Amino acid sequence: MFEEKLTEFEPIFYPKSVAVVGASATSIKAGTLWVSSLNSAGFPGIIYPVGSSGGHIADLEIFPNLKLVLGEIDYVIVSIPRKSVLKLLDDCAAKNVKAVQFFTAGFSEVDTKQGRKLEEKMLEKARQGHIRIIGPNCIGVYCPEHKIPFLLGILGESGPVGFVSQSGGIATKLVTIGIARHINYSKVVSFGNGIDLDASDFLQYLAADPKTKVIGAYLEGTRNGARLFNTMKEVAKVKPLVVWKGGRTEAGAQAALSHTGSLASSAAIWSAMLKQAGAIEVHNLEELTDTLLIFQQLRHWQGTRAAIIGGLADGGGGNSVAAGDACMENGLKIPPLSLETKQELSELLGEVGSILCNPIDVSQAQFQGLATLFQAIDSVARDTVTDIVLIQEDIDILLPIYSRKGLEEINDFFVEFTGRQNKPIIVVLPPGSAEPERLQIEQKLLAASIPVFYSMERASKAIYKLNQYCRRQEVK
Amino acid sequence: MIKSQNLLTEVESKELLKKAGIPVVEAKLSRSKKEAISTSKEMGFPIVLKISSPDVVHKSDSGGVKLGLANATQVGKAYNEVISSVKQAYPKAKIEGVSVQPMAPPGVEVIVGMSKDPQFGPVLMFGLGGILVEVLKDVSFRIVPVTERDALEMIREIKGYPVLEGYRGQKPASIPALEKLLVKVSNFVEKNPQIKELDLNPIFAYPDKAVAVDARIILE
Repeated sequence: MFEEKLTEFEPIFYPKSVAVVGASATSIKAGTLWVSSLNSAGFPGIIYPVGSSGGHIADLEIFPNLKLVLGEIDYVIVSIPRKSVLKLLDDCAAKNVKAVQFFTAGFSEVDTKQGRKLEEKMLEKARQGHIRIIGPNCIGVYCPEHKIPFLLGILGESGPVGFVSQSGGIATKLVTIGIARHINYSKVVSFGNGIDLDASDFLQYLAADPKTKVIGAYLEGTRNGARLFNTMKEVAKVKPLVVWKGGRTEAGAQAALSHTGSLASSAAIWSAMLKQAGAIEVHNLEELTDTLLIFQQLRHWQGTRAAIIGGLADGGGGNSVAAGDACMENGLKIPPLSLETKQELSELLGEVGSILCNPIDVSQAQFQGLATLFQAIDSVARDTVTDIVLIQEDIDILLPIYSRKGLEEINDFFVEFTGRQNKPIIVVLPPGSAEPERLQIEQKLLAASIPVFYSMERASKAIYKLNQYCRRQEVK
Repeated sequence: MIKSQNLLTEVESKELLKKAGIPVVEAKLSRSKKEAISTSKEMGFPIVLKISSPDVVHKSDSGGVKLGLANATQVGKAYNEVISSVKQAYPKAKIEGVSVQPMAPPGVEVIVGMSKDPQFGPVLMFGLGGILVEVLKDVSFRIVPVTERDALEMIREIKGYPVLEGYRGQKPASIPALEKLLVKVSNFVEKNPQIKELDLNPIFAYPDKAVAVDARIILE
């Protein structure tokens, strides 16, 4: 589906050469930063800085004018005053440039008539010159595979998540959170005002892109609702699509004469549209990142029956109860374990002080050593009444009991255990007073493809959203 | 509340809906007391009278609706009352007469409507009728065109869904009938882009069918 977009957008995500217009050897302008960050990221193509200052940025010569660049130019990044953009588009057409990204702002987003008019003229010139426009008012493309960083040189690992954003700030934040939580992106694009290429175009590209397995989007509005709706319907058929709609204000309910008109708020219609298209709606940055993470790690895995191990040592009882509530409230099921498993657990742990039903309290293992703890977890995971195992690992409690060495053994076990059996384990690492240790463990588990969340609530929400998608795929 | 040249009367709205295959309780316009009585006799009692005016949006607020009229005498008396109380409430309203219709047996009350979203065009709404719609906003939406699957999802999505299944011995509502009705309304508004807003409120849903008891269409 949408395969034609792959060739069409090749110069945008895999340009052989990039010109940066608005670079300077003497002052630190956005254009200068772009040149430096592409250069130090190791961009494999040719970089042509363009600007009136002359001179060099690192060892790259600055050309006074785009037309004076001798080689071919696939992609142009523009950071110049808006009064010069039309002239620049003429130069781009003369050089057969394929796509132009405008960092330049001050167009329709400030809602002036002048800004709108200028956008119309830009679009007209772009059409005549067969140039595609990204923006204006945007930070454009991030493609770690092709060493295209975000502005300021932000560059993480390449991975399966594609993301489309109307906002550059949210796109950047998502990439930096991704670096911290091992959410790795195939491509991220921030398209700003989207006068030419918009969310629909990039969603279509990501649906076709073989490197992208999961798609996310942050949107505030659309200039063509029908096209966006139809695109999302098609895209969601082939890849999970997670959407955060920003700006959920009441706009549609003005002076409607019907009941229907007065109840149909903009937010309600967006939610309905997303549901109807088969997309998964999220409502904030936390939900967005949690959902992308679980899709990246578990992909098409299915099942809402959870085994909950509320704690690995003291204090597991209350946490188990709270964890059970969080899971039930977020649509998961917590079936009682089978008799055989309960039998195994009571032989291992003894019944006193342990809850062996589900949620399961295995804290008694602390009196018998780690081997018993690992056997208990193994036994819980082997029970076929559940599809997934949720484990709360509270560093503040474990550190004094098991010391750093024991803690390391516990997490080595999780990594090894995930590698040797199929049932996913999800670890909840609640933040507390031992942050350095907690962060280290989080990195270790994430690197081993174990999803890590900060609360049972967030973990269960993410599991539920994963299932929401898989279920819909099934009944299709 | 008086407004809008573009408001079709109940009788006009129902005619259009009926032609589109959407089940409605048929209503006939009567321009005089005499006509109202003879139409009532043809239809059979009990009867409902409603004011028919393109200027009156909320008919019952101004005393423009009389329910459960059991015989010709009651219909005649109700005719006078309806006309005079609307004239009092809205002296400038153009009054065509009254709509006469058989009183539908009680069923589960639901609402189906359409309005236009500036970004996504026509959208359908579904919910339980009466005050629940207004107070709890327990409604679901889908963009037109609405498929059978969309229709079923929007019916199941409302919190009041158990009421439709027949809660505590109440008679259930036919989900397939509601599903079909939603798809038909979707087709109807898709073919008639000049319709700006539409309310079928209430619809009475029974174990085997669903019928629109009142209808309102507002044109662009």
